[in-house]
Amino acid sequence: MTTHRLAARDLTLGYEDRIVVRDLDLEVPAGRVTVVVGPNACGKSTLLRSLGRLLKPVSGSVLLDGAALRDLPTREIARRIGVLPQSPVPPEGITVADLVARGRQPYQRWWQQWSDEDEDVVADAMRRTDVVELADRYVDELSGGQRQRVWIAMALAQGTGILLLDEPTTFLDIAHQVEVLDLVRELNVTRERTVVAVLHDLNQACRYADHLIAMRDGSIVAQGAPAEIVTADLVRDVFGLACVVIPCPVTGAPMVVPGQPREAG
Amino acid sequence: MSHRPYGHVLIRRPRFSFLVHRRSAVVASVLAVLLAAVFLLGLCVGVRFIPPGDVLRVLFGADESIVVETLRLPRTTVGLLVGLAFGIAGALIQTVARNPLASPDVIGVSHGAAAAVVFGLVFGFGGPTATPLTAIAGGSVAAFLVYVLAWRRGLNAQRFVLIGVGISVALAAVTNLLLTKADITLAQQAKVWMSGSLNGRGWSQGEPLTWVLLALVPAIVWAARAARSAGFDDDTAIALGVRLGRIRLGLVVVGVLLASVATGAAGPVDFVALVAPQVARRLARTPQVPLVCSALLGALIVVSADIGARMLISNAELPVGVLTAAVGGPYLLWMLTRSRAGGAS
Ligand SMILES: Nc1ncnc2c1ncn2[C@@H]1O[C@H](COP(=O)(O)OP(=O)(O)O)[C@@H](O)[C@H]1O
Ligand SMILES: [Mg+2]
Repeated sequence: MTTHRLAARDLTLGYEDRIVVRDLDLEVPAGRVTVVVGPNACGKSTLLRSLGRLLKPVSGSVLLDGAALRDLPTREIARRIGVLPQSPVPPEGITVADLVARGRQPYQRWWQQWSDEDEDVVADAMRRTDVVELADRYVDELSGGQRQRVWIAMALAQGTGILLLDEPTTFLDIAHQVEVLDLVRELNVTRERTVVAVLHDLNQACRYADHLIAMRDGSIVAQGAPAEIVTADLVRDVFGLACVVIPCPVTGAPMVVPGQPREAG
Repeated sequence: MSHRPYGHVLIRRPRFSFLVHRRSAVVASVLAVLLAAVFLLGLCVGVRFIPPGDVLRVLFGADESIVVETLRLPRTTVGLLVGLAFGIAGALIQTVARNPLASPDVIGVSHGAAAAVVFGLVFGFGGPTATPLTAIAGGSVAAFLVYVLAWRRGLNAQRFVLIGVGISVALAAVTNLLLTKADITLAQQAKVWMSGSLNGRGWSQGEPLTWVLLALVPAIVWAARAARSAGFDDDTAIALGVRLGRIRLGLVVVGVLLASVATGAAGPVDFVALVAPQVARRLARTPQVPLVCSALLGALIVVSADIGARMLISNAELPVGVLTAAVGGPYLLWMLTRSRAGGAS
């Protein structure tokens, strides 16, 4: 898999009249896992959507291999960047295998609707996300966690060098959370994929990120290797939470333990 | 185990590959056979019954028969084409609106076309070539109005339908106003047309309709595949490299054109565009409306309804629109009562 470079220059993002992100610069480390953290509504999804050309910048630009996204055909982008939005909506009444197969859309033409490669990639994506048994089920009838894995399978089937995932672990139980994040890691290690994920859980972020980006109010407060930037001060700054940071007993990555809980009763 | 999309057969040659939904293909074949049978029946029945054997002999070149060739064949053909057009139009617009209620006859396209045609009749430009054009103009203006009024940072399916119904009612009022102002014979003529009738429709209606349908064939072929992506939310569709805005616009334009010319040819034959797509979808069990099945079913409904219109009462003819409404009205009520809070089902 060829690695692609994704960067943001002077990026200002917003909706209608309100600006959410102002003058942001970012270099996404190629071939690495980048995790974005920050409090609710700080603009993580907004940033991720613009990196995946789902949201047009108010000003500034997102560069893919040096070219502005707005100058590239969207289909061309779809072969290099896969995006899993925060709350995707499937076509009504679609089955799991169908939905995963839709990930091949950027490679198909009207007269070229299914190839051996499509078949292989879809099969591989379904196996990796553990949704093979669900193949003929309707997506509408799945549990939140099953559905999330199906969406991830669809994004994988797109076969892109860059994957942007907005909270891919919401709705998942802890075992599946770890499974998905391990999968993301594995894709990154064995296939040199560049991943940018928004995660809610700070400890998971520290555990899986090569590069951590902490955001607050639409700006990047700190970024770098988790071990270098995650401190009690940073967590207080970004989340307004008093905590202790200790090394994780398993991985040695920083682990955030919130301060004294309120006494019960 | 196979991972190609569920229920599809792969047809592959070196230069191309097509996925065909097996059940849709079966349903389409059955509908096509039924349609052929009903079409033939449509040539047989009328004031005087002509046995199918005789009709076939006429069709395949033997002795002339005025009744079959100059009256029933054109009329039944117009019915067939109108049904095809409504079946496709309904499928496309329902798909874009993501709402089974949003068919051209509910959201104002047919009424817009009707108002324009009545306007044309009343003010004296209602000829066979002018009518399709005025119908397209009227249908497009109505669709544009609905689209603009319903658009607020994206298309809300529910608002789309409600505004469409509002526009329909307003346009019906305009049409009635035109009729009361009009000369009595013209008004009478327009009223028959308004209730959707195939009586007296011939090649002069069939020909423009055929041309428009033929001209739209590439667009319809494109739409059949493009419509697959219309069920995603915007973000997911764009992520897959689909230009959803463009696709939606394209589908709506094709749908509005088809519904408008069909209305121009036969009057607003209500409920066909509403019913055909949803029934076709349930028969074929596909996630999106199967376009071919919907078209065939639309044609089947119109041609059958026309036969019914000729046979139900002995010495007069019911307009075909009355029959389709008699079936479609209850269906619409049923849809409304079972849809969740009036939104997309
Ligand atoms: N489609 C939208 N229209 C208007 N405002 C939005 C939209 N999406 C997000 N916002 C606003 O932008 C801000 C950032 O949202 P978001 O990027 O979703 O935050 P996060 O993902 O960090 O929780 C929030 O204040 C939110 O209300
Ligand atoms: Mg978010």
